[in-house]
Amino acid sequence: MIDTAIVVGIVRILFVCIIITAAYIISTRNLLSVVSVYALQSLTLVCIALALWSLEGSIVLLEIAVVTFISKVLIIPYFIATIQEKIRIKRDIEFHYLNPTTSLLISMALMLLIYMALARIMEGTPARESLFFFGAVLGISLMLMGMMVTFSRKRAITKVLGFLSMENGVLLFGMFVTELPFIIEFLIIIDLIILVILTAILSVGIDSTLEDYHKRLHRFHLLEESEEVP
Amino acid sequence: MIAELFILALLVLLAGTIFPLIAASLDRRSVRTISLSCTIVASILLGILSLVNLLSGDSVSFTLYQPIPAFSLSFVIDRLASFFLLIIAVVSACVALYFTEYIEHMDGESRRNLLCSCTSLFILAMVLVIASANTLAFFLFWELMAASSFLLVTYEYTHDETRKAGTFYFIMTQLSSLFVLLGIILLYTQTGSFAISPVYGGMTYLAILAFLALFAGFSIKAGIIPFHKWLPYAHPASPTPISALMSGVMLKIAVYGLVRFLLDVFTPDLWWGVLILAAGTASAVLGIIYALKEHDVKGMLAYSSIENIGIIFTGIGLSVIFTASNLPGLATLSLLGALFHSLNHAMFKSLLFLTAGSVVSATHTRDIEHMGGLAHRMPVTSALFFVGAVSIAALPPLNGFASELLIFMSFFSSVALVDPLFKVLLFICLALFALTSALSSACFVKAFGSIFLALPRSPESAVAEEVPRAMLIGPGILAAACILLGVCALQIFAFVGFAVPLPDMLLISLLLVSMAVLTYAVLYFTASREVRVSETWGCGTLSQQASAEYSGHGFSEPLDIIFSAIYRTRTTSERTFHDQKNCIFKEGTGEIRLLKVFEEYLYRPIAQQSMSITKSVSRFQNGCLDTYLLYVFVTIIALIIFLGWFA
Repeated sequence: MIDTAIVVGIVRILFVCIIITAAYIISTRNLLSVVSVYALQSLTLVCIALALWSLEGSIVLLEIAVVTFISKVLIIPYFIATIQEKIRIKRDIEFHYLNPTTSLLISMALMLLIYMALARIMEGTPARESLFFFGAVLGISLMLMGMMVTFSRKRAITKVLGFLSMENGVLLFGMFVTELPFIIEFLIIIDLIILVILTAILSVGIDSTLEDYHKRLHRFHLLEESEEVP
Repeated sequence: MIAELFILALLVLLAGTIFPLIAASLDRRSVRTISLSCTIVASILLGILSLVNLLSGDSVSFTLYQPIPAFSLSFVIDRLASFFLLIIAVVSACVALYFTEYIEHMDGESRRNLLCSCTSLFILAMVLVIASANTLAFFLFWELMAASSFLLVTYEYTHDETRKAGTFYFIMTQLSSLFVLLGIILLYTQTGSFAISPVYGGMTYLAILAFLALFAGFSIKAGIIPFHKWLPYAHPASPTPISALMSGVMLKIAVYGLVRFLLDVFTPDLWWGVLILAAGTASAVLGIIYALKEHDVKGMLAYSSIENIGIIFTGIGLSVIFTASNLPGLATLSLLGALFHSLNHAMFKSLLFLTAGSVVSATHTRDIEHMGGLAHRMPVTSALFFVGAVSIAALPPLNGFASELLIFMSFFSSVALVDPLFKVLLFICLALFALTSALSSACFVKAFGSIFLALPRSPESAVAEEVPRAMLIGPGILAAACILLGVCALQIFAFVGFAVPLPDMLLISLLLVSMAVLTYAVLYFTASREVRVSETWGCGTLSQQASAEYSGHGFSEPLDIIFSAIYRTRTTSERTFHDQKNCIFKEGTGEIRLLKVFEEYLYRPIAQQSMSITKSVSRFQNGCLDTYLLYVFVTIIALIIFLGWFA
């Protein structure tokens, strides 16, 4: 077994990685890199799960690490990258309500707010001082930051990434605060994969009406072959 | 025995509701007659039980169904409830009797079965409201009453006018239900129970708010100004017997609600009485002033209902003032006046509506300017209408006089009140009340004169015929009740155990009759026997024409001028000219229009305000996914803040 202090140190570093990735997802305009950052964020989660496993030895954590690695680091980013290939959008520059700078500022304020709120709620409990407190704060913040992405971006594909990032937040919170049963975590991941597959089909039309859908397909050259048929 | 009879009556009414629904597609007279017969039988049962209970003064209570401990469908039939049950019973029986014939002259084939069914349901709901022992059951049946009456009002839904009236009625009646519910909830928070029982521990803000909410709810239902606007829309639009039921009985249910809560739940303050008195007096005066201007016979009767409800509220307000001033004798007197006027108004107003319905179905118009000369063509109907008109104009010795005299008596006795400021208020109200009585006489002189006297002013009224017998018996019973309640008022009060300072109307009416007989005899013996053939009241004019008659408009014109400040007419004119300097007149239109003051200055602005508020609220639902996510986000943040700092 590795020394507890070292593991705790590693987990703290991983926390910082998660914050950085979340901030990147919120602020970047480059679509291609968002997917890889998402994969990196998921990988960080896998590492956290492994580190916790080395601390606690719970087999569920190991299972979570494996499932997360397969689904969120490999399958989902692969699908999304395929979609991006198809729709040929490289940059996402349309925003609703918040632009990236404001989003970043708000997410900093959010983290502070959640820290203070949780500190008041957990006042006096043993969990207050430990690593788990930070995990909970980060989990909720990550979830809310993901949510900010879902409503501040106009492109469906970025919305999906925001949603996935939200789910990462839930996972983080679950790992640190509650004993999330493995089966639920597994089902959530299946849901995510289905969501992403659906997105692969609909991503160009997910936020439009059905009448508009065909027009969009044409605009993004997804129906090129059918167009060529006389 | 009372309870069993009551349940039997309910079952018969229920049968009258369900039977036409089962035979909904059968367009047969028998179906409707059976349903209406059920209503008549149930009304007779109700009449018997309420009379027995009224005389014995017992309070019968029983529970029909208790789904949960906190709520039960229980009923209490005490003296007050019996009194109102009696009103329902008499009016419903006569209306149903009239309806058996009237409904056969209506359009709508088998849809008329549903009309019968709804009528039974409506009466059932009203009976249940009266008998309810707790506020929750009261509200439940109140809502049932509102819903069934809405269906009845919109029976002729193909007419635009009816649809408008239906919408208006629906909104107002739901507003009324909303206020009643609010009052009930406030009462519940104050007392912790749904029972109709006294609120102890003084009148807190909650209790006062509950009273105000209930007062608003009942006022809307009763048609107190400024909540009255649904009456002149709903009454002309609905079938005549339904108007008779609504005006005769349903408005009284609101009166019952107010009296019940004032007597059994609250300990009223003085200012509550002043509020009720002011609302009542304003409704009485304005109601009759608007009635004078109305030329739609049913619209006029609707406004006159507002006036009479105003009189009833005046009596209730006086009673509350006297109770709060510790004058129990006077309080009882004025409350008796209000209740007696409720009974009388139910009788003569349904009589007037039914006879007006006969006239309308005979002449196919509701405009009194197109009637005239019907006294020869429909003699019985005109006699019945005359009895109703005399009653409502409060002429002795009929019942309207007796009840208004009671309220006048309590006004006169208010000299006993010490506070001079109060005396001034009461005298102002007394003056307005006296004005109301005078104007209502004028109004019904005009109505009777325009409808029944002189020459027919339209081809339809020239060929009008007397209605079938069933349409005369129902109003006939009501007319007899009007005469009986007026002539024997003192005896009736003595019989139920109240000593009231009324003159012996029996004596007065005997005197009046003997005077009439004497006059006739003198004329008979002294007049010349020579036969003259000429036109009556011709005043020398040869070949009179209907267009030369004194019309309803003409009759009310002086009053129009006196009250022109209240009527608020708007004069508009548009002119076009041939030249640029506006000298050579080309053509133009001019219009003098009666402003619907309450509609234009109160209802419309409120409606527009609420529309703009709802518009700004509906902007929240903009169909954009991002916005909804933003709402979720904001909600979560708010929750976190709440959990961290306020939980």
